[in-house]
Amino acid sequence: MTLSFFDANLCFGRPIQAVYQPAETAADLQRVMAHNGITKGLVWHIAQREYAASEGNRLLAKAIAGRKNLFGCWAILPPQTDEVITPDFFRRMKTRRIFALRAFPTLHNYIINRVVFGKFLVEVTERRIPLMLSVEKASGGWPAIYNLLAEFPNLTCIFCDIGIWNSDRFTWPLLENYPNVFLETSLLALEDAGIEETVARYGAERLLFGSNFPERYPEAAMLALLHAAIPAAAKRKIASANLEGLIKRVRL
Amino acid sequence: MKTSHHLKKTFFTRGRAPDCPIYDLHGHMGPYHGLHINRETAAQADAALKRAGVRLLAFCHHSALAAPDIGNADNIKAVRAFPDRLRAYCGINPNYPDQVEKDVASFDRYADVYVGFKFHPSMHGIPVTDPRNAPAWQFADARALPVLLHTWGGGPTEGHPAVRKAAERYPRAKILLGHSCHDSWNEAIQLVKDFPNVYLELCAVMDERGILERFVGELGSKRIVFGTDYPWFNHHYYIGAVLGAGLSEDDCRNVFYRNAEKILKIKRR
Repeated sequence: MTLSFFDANLCFGRPIQAVYQPAETAADLQRVMAHNGITKGLVWHIAQREYAASEGNRLLAKAIAGRKNLFGCWAILPPQTDEVITPDFFRRMKTRRIFALRAFPTLHNYIINRVVFGKFLVEVTERRIPLMLSVEKASGGWPAIYNLLAEFPNLTCIFCDIGIWNSDRFTWPLLENYPNVFLETSLLALEDAGIEETVARYGAERLLFGSNFPERYPEAAMLALLHAAIPAAAKRKIASANLEGLIKRVRL
Repeated sequence: MKTSHHLKKTFFTRGRAPDCPIYDLHGHMGPYHGLHINRETAAQADAALKRAGVRLLAFCHHSALAAPDIGNADNIKAVRAFPDRLRAYCGINPNYPDQVEKDVASFDRYADVYVGFKFHPSMHGIPVTDPRNAPAWQFADARALPVLLHTWGGGPTEGHPAVRKAAERYPRAKILLGHSCHDSWNEAIQLVKDFPNVYLELCAVMDERGILERFVGELGSKRIVFGTDYPWFNHHYYIGAVLGAGLSEDDCRNVFYRNAEKILKIKRR
């Protein structure tokens, strides 16, 4: 079977430290995607994490402008510092085709909870904007994630890069308790039968294909999904339909 | 140079390539304390291997490493239940020297089960070169058997300095560096250059782009073997990663099966 892939976890830009053959520009990333048969991408710029969220957001928006198969994510910081979240934040998201947010609380030195993000995350929840947290990259760890969801149980949350070593004991309770929690598959696919067992328990609707390029090989997560022991309809949902749906329901 | 395009197409279309079997030289079985294992049994392993075109999984049951009260019994049971696709490494726990002696002494009784030995120095807290491991090392060295080592970085029990000492001491044993001294990639490469009996193994290597390319660039592909830590990691994921590394078809075939067949002395029909 062939699948149309909408990759939820693609990054471009020149990293501070050497990464093997990154996509330095959005155009480079589009070439990588075309080479691998990935038709659309929800993308972020490495400077959003490594340099400064505000400047990284600007670089990302500029780079994806006019590139119709690239959908942007912006990094957030505490609203109190006015570095990123300003009164026209959601309007700017709309004009720049930003459909999701990313947070790197550990690296960016803040706490992601109600005290810091109360009103903002209430609005994010109402607008159904996905908040993406990379479990491997400065998410604050599982206790912080559990606290966040206890405070914002309806928040649309996508967990990316969920860890090299099987994370079922962390992720399955979240899938069970919070209907708007989704898992990106770049590392779920690494786990043997991770896709199959998660689908069997919580449904294919809860998974979003992701490759985590340039750190990981797109072919790895793609082959694992293509030949997972799940129905073809489930594969289509994971490969692209679920993320298409999440993006469509965003209200900006 | 013939690219791996043909192989990639076949694996992507069919999930396996009949003319390119996979030999996974680093597997496990059973439950484990630190994580949830989706497929614990030998029957599940057999079905999963078939699905990905894995001709043979050489594994060491978790119980053989982490439950001295069970020892190698589960290895034997699993291989005898599914002899077509499973072979085991005899697990060695040097904290129990009497048991090591017994395991080595019984190796030939289970010639249908074992392909070699497995040491996990960090789990057992004993360097791989410790004299308590010597009976197994000497046995493997005398017969040029594979010894799968858990290796990681440069630490005192499982790191490249310990491996170097072992490779000097046991030049005939086929030493498979499980995880390729993870993160100490240069030192792992140097070990392969320095010792003709040392091989890199890819488990926990393939979730990072660029490492396999570096290995092949510096060493060629004849001293690299495929491994996944199954049932920790997924075969299709690892196969996809190797295919994604942009190696030549020949290199892919060396990694997927040719090197393993030489190490295990398997002649294909």
